[in-house]
Amino acid sequence: MPRISANRDLACLGPFIVRWGGHPPENSSSTMISGRTQSTFAWILLLGVIGVVDARGSDSTVPPAEVANAEHWAYTTPEEPSVPAVMDADWASNWIDLFLLARLDSEGLAPSPPADRATLIRRLHLDLTGLPPPPDRVDVFVADTRPDAYVKLVDQLLALPSYGERMAMYWLDLVRYADTVGYHGDQDHSISPYRDFVIDALNENMAFDEFTRMQLAGDLITDAGVRGQIASGYNRLLQTSHEGGVQKQEYLAIYGADRVRNVSTVWLGATLGCCQCHDHKYDPLTLRDFYSMKAFFADIDEEDHFKHGTNALPTNREPEISVFTEAEGRRVDELNQRIEKLDSSVQSVSTEDRELIVGQIEVLKEERASIEKNARKTMISRVVTPRTTRILPRGNWLDESGEIVEPAVPARFGKLELGRRATRLDLANWLTSRDGAGALTARVMVNRLWYLFFGVGVARSLDDFGAQGEAPSHPELLDALALEFLESGWDLKHTVRLLVTSQAYRQSSLEPRKLLDRDPENRLVARQSRFRLSAETIRDNALALSGLLVSVVGGSSAKPYQPTGYYQHLNFPARTYKHHGDLRQWRRGVYVHWQRQFLHPMLKAFDAPTREECTTQRSRSNTPLAALTLLNDPTFVEAARALAECVLREESTNDRDRLDGLFQRVLLRRPDDRERDTLLRYLDTSRVHYRKHEEDARALVSTGQLRVADDLDAVELASWTAVARALLNLHETVMRT
Amino acid sequence: MSLEELSYSPILRRSFLGQAGVGLGSLALSSLMKRELRAGNVNTSRSSTSGMAGDVLQLPHHVPTAKRVIFLCMAGGPSQFETFDSKPKLREMHGKPMPESYTKGQPIAQLQGQELKCQRPLAEFNHHGKCGRLISDFLPWHGKMADDICVVNSMVTEQINHDPAHTFMNTGTAIAGHPSMGSWVNYGLGSDTEDLPGFVVLTSQGGRNPQPIASRQWAAGFLPGRFQGVEFDSRGDPVHYLRNPAGVPPSQQRALVDTVGELNGYRNQVVDDPEITTRVAAYEMAFRMQASVPELMDISNEPREVLEMYGARPGDGSYASNCLLARRLVERGVRFIQLYHRGWDHHGGLAKYMDICCGLTDRPTWALLTDLKRRGMLDDTLVVWGGEFGRTPMYQGKEGVGRDHHIKAFSMWLAGGGVRGGIRHGKTDDLGYFAVEDVVHVRDLHATMLHVLGIDHDVFRVKHQGLETGLTGVEGARVVEEILV
Repeated sequence: MPRISANRDLACLGPFIVRWGGHPPENSSSTMISGRTQSTFAWILLLGVIGVVDARGSDSTVPPAEVANAEHWAYTTPEEPSVPAVMDADWASNWIDLFLLARLDSEGLAPSPPADRATLIRRLHLDLTGLPPPPDRVDVFVADTRPDAYVKLVDQLLALPSYGERMAMYWLDLVRYADTVGYHGDQDHSISPYRDFVIDALNENMAFDEFTRMQLAGDLITDAGVRGQIASGYNRLLQTSHEGGVQKQEYLAIYGADRVRNVSTVWLGATLGCCQCHDHKYDPLTLRDFYSMKAFFADIDEEDHFKHGTNALPTNREPEISVFTEAEGRRVDELNQRIEKLDSSVQSVSTEDRELIVGQIEVLKEERASIEKNARKTMISRVVTPRTTRILPRGNWLDESGEIVEPAVPARFGKLELGRRATRLDLANWLTSRDGAGALTARVMVNRLWYLFFGVGVARSLDDFGAQGEAPSHPELLDALALEFLESGWDLKHTVRLLVTSQAYRQSSLEPRKLLDRDPENRLVARQSRFRLSAETIRDNALALSGLLVSVVGGSSAKPYQPTGYYQHLNFPARTYKHHGDLRQWRRGVYVHWQRQFLHPMLKAFDAPTREECTTQRSRSNTPLAALTLLNDPTFVEAARALAECVLREESTNDRDRLDGLFQRVLLRRPDDRERDTLLRYLDTSRVHYRKHEEDARALVSTGQLRVADDLDAVELASWTAVARALLNLHETVMRT
Repeated sequence: MSLEELSYSPILRRSFLGQAGVGLGSLALSSLMKRELRAGNVNTSRSSTSGMAGDVLQLPHHVPTAKRVIFLCMAGGPSQFETFDSKPKLREMHGKPMPESYTKGQPIAQLQGQELKCQRPLAEFNHHGKCGRLISDFLPWHGKMADDICVVNSMVTEQINHDPAHTFMNTGTAIAGHPSMGSWVNYGLGSDTEDLPGFVVLTSQGGRNPQPIASRQWAAGFLPGRFQGVEFDSRGDPVHYLRNPAGVPPSQQRALVDTVGELNGYRNQVVDDPEITTRVAAYEMAFRMQASVPELMDISNEPREVLEMYGARPGDGSYASNCLLARRLVERGVRFIQLYHRGWDHHGGLAKYMDICCGLTDRPTWALLTDLKRRGMLDDTLVVWGGEFGRTPMYQGKEGVGRDHHIKAFSMWLAGGGVRGGIRHGKTDDLGYFAVEDVVHVRDLHATMLHVLGIDHDVFRVKHQGLETGLTGVEGARVVEEILV
């Protein structure tokens, strides 16, 4: 297929561009002529041409429309690829496998055998719910040899509320969800109902186009109601400031640019942010495109906080609405009905009774007011007369000489013919329509789903589908997945299900060294990937294993233990952190208070992003700070002692059985002899110490807020806590394999 | 693209300690690692998977004159008119309107829409040292080191609010997500310590309205997380989770780390995962840090004479103590140290707060320089002093005379590490509004810092979002050769 071959050729652009060193030199096309095929040659020439930029930063040569002719893989219309022929079609469980297998055939490689059942169920649970499988489920699954056992499990997991929480963790990284304003005083802002909207929408399997519309323009959809308003909080997630001396014009420019960066990265995998000061150096995107995109958001009501932002917690970021919990909502409805009833009866009664009733109404109204006052608030989008949007020459907000632009999609990708000013709703529709950017959006999103379940994208650069991004390793597969996503009606669960029911997903991750050397990044998927769990999942895993996890969906953010004084550099107001001393302490990581400037040290140590910008892919570091966290953070010590308590309350009383049970619970397998010996030895070492130092034992077993198990021997409990700490610190425990 | 996505790279596997987080190295392999870093081998391996420019391999690019940096961040933005930029004309113009020819179309922070009047300097300036440098009376101890420092009067920056201005000073851009200079330097040169992170941040406060400092100021941005700055708190636990849980003495913690290491080792024999080796090394270093960091932070064993010279009292969290800690950190091989003193945002109460801020920082800064010099370490340690911006020649009156933020001219100084002492570089106009001669942009400062460390800022680049990105950005920067030895 010629299209594919052009794609492959584009991949060889990397080295050319690297040699340019930053921006390409002017008239660089002459030095670039060494492409192998016509199409590559054309593309390189084209890049050279776009690289010529005049002093005002606008393209002086080729109008972007002409740029469109180049066939960049991400911008082509995906075509239904024919399913390739493979040598061993029996291996495949769906068509995904055929695409992978065809490539493996051509590389002379074979796929890995399936992972063992215990590994598989742990992988699937962690991938789909972010939690380990409950111990009793493991045995059932391992024993269940029916052919549809696995697929059934997939369907069960997709239906769990924890699925939405897990998928939200990723979405919240993309849209840079956080609980604080980010700039300067980094005060709390009210937004957690938006987070809950995301979780609920993912659990309901809201179609992705609807999900998009709700967030970008929920306030503009007439029948979307309060939910639409909450979802439109997306437009308010950016960092804001009311620092004394902020200049309104400057910050409006900053906010606009922030939104352009986010919307273009999240939906288009485009680095439109590069065009704030000049036309894009590599992609067919222009300065005008940047400001035209910015104009979509010019109707968002947000200037109030420059004047009325307070140094309170939370600060004030109008417009905000109160969001009732179900119970609050019921009560308010009830109150309204009663007030109405009393109101209507007040005329027909005696004067004495009237006074009584008026008094009752007062009381009811007070209660209603108090509910409204105490309810969670959330920032929403509300429309104002659109601000004038000008092209800012070189991105300079002080320069008002630039042309005024109207909302428009990047010219390379088409035009909205509406006969009126385009709105955010038009943008959302365009992003998800096949006539608009739908195909690109679909490619970008399925690529990220692939990354979540295989550890690396089909195209590795999840945030850049432009010329500087890496071409996909399996372009036809990516297209087929994108089409599937589109044609299923943007059905996320359907697409996820497709991925995890492939045979490729079920492969073992225990690759032989030879394969590791051949394909270190697992681009060929001749195995599954192993990678460290995300920060939130490391937390959730420990809490779930120890039985501490509180599985309530939604609500205001939770504050786990945190080192004292961590917020000492925050001011306006000065901050003291008070961890939650109730069940909120053990909520999932997705609910942890996200302080942009001082992200919780545990989250930070395991590479959770500060969410100042869109994060498509987190680092997976392996550092001493992370080791210290897992060793000494009270959250993990408390989880260890809860685990120890479980052990001591089980029926078996000999060390060996207890150890095997604990090991099985954490790692879903039995220890081998060496492992058992090492741990029993460590248990004994601990016992020797804690027998001698009972005060140490008592101190260790009262870490955290969990009730001290007075009925258990403190020395035993401390010694088993030590063993549980060892297990929670194992490499295997924090890995998804 | 994440640079951490390299754990399975065969080359990195050979030098697995590259993954070992803050600082580098461990056990016998640490020296190997350091050698590799110097030779750039680790960077080579990065380039293959992360698109790092090949040229960076040759680090250092030229013979360095400095091995390490101490950056003294006077957070809030000290006034140049009360420190290093004497402006007699401003005294003459006191109370008169600031000529509009200066201010028209210029960015203004809190003085937006207000009447702009000249504000005379609130200090006398006297000549100091053999060089006869004019330094304000607020800084008597700086007077004593006039011949050691190079004052740059012509600094300019691009950001007029604290938070973005700090980000700009640290990363060369106001957009979040870029690496801080300390991260860049450690990424390029590696660390010389086996027990400590290569990039350490200490903070103190005292003065007017301490401005918040975000931890992004020392973040590694798109570089691997292990190059991030680690804040050592001089009160309480210096590093998060450094202290064992209650009821766990060091012997028990040791047994735990040994047990975890042993079990990880067994597992590695089954699954053959290079990340396991890295994790074992990380746990070893974590355990060592539990001892080495408290030892470092405990300055009570310093001779009394030294404590007095700095004016440091163990455990007080002061700038003075932090200066002494900075010396202890450079002695132990830490590559990049930042000291933030928060309190220089003098919109009002200028005289009072200058007294406080200078009182807290003047002498300890002198002590640090003197101590380094005495130990022969100033020659290869670059010391930089300055705020994220300067202050207006115009009056602001928030609770008494003050000055607003100003970005078109401010003063910083550099010393040691190949910088010529006793000179002054750059000039401002008569009213100190614009830098007019030998203007030094923040990017030029970055280029110069990298230069003394042996790094060519134009070549030291990492591919990020399709662009070869470095500390000095893409707009161009110049090494200020005139101030170098």
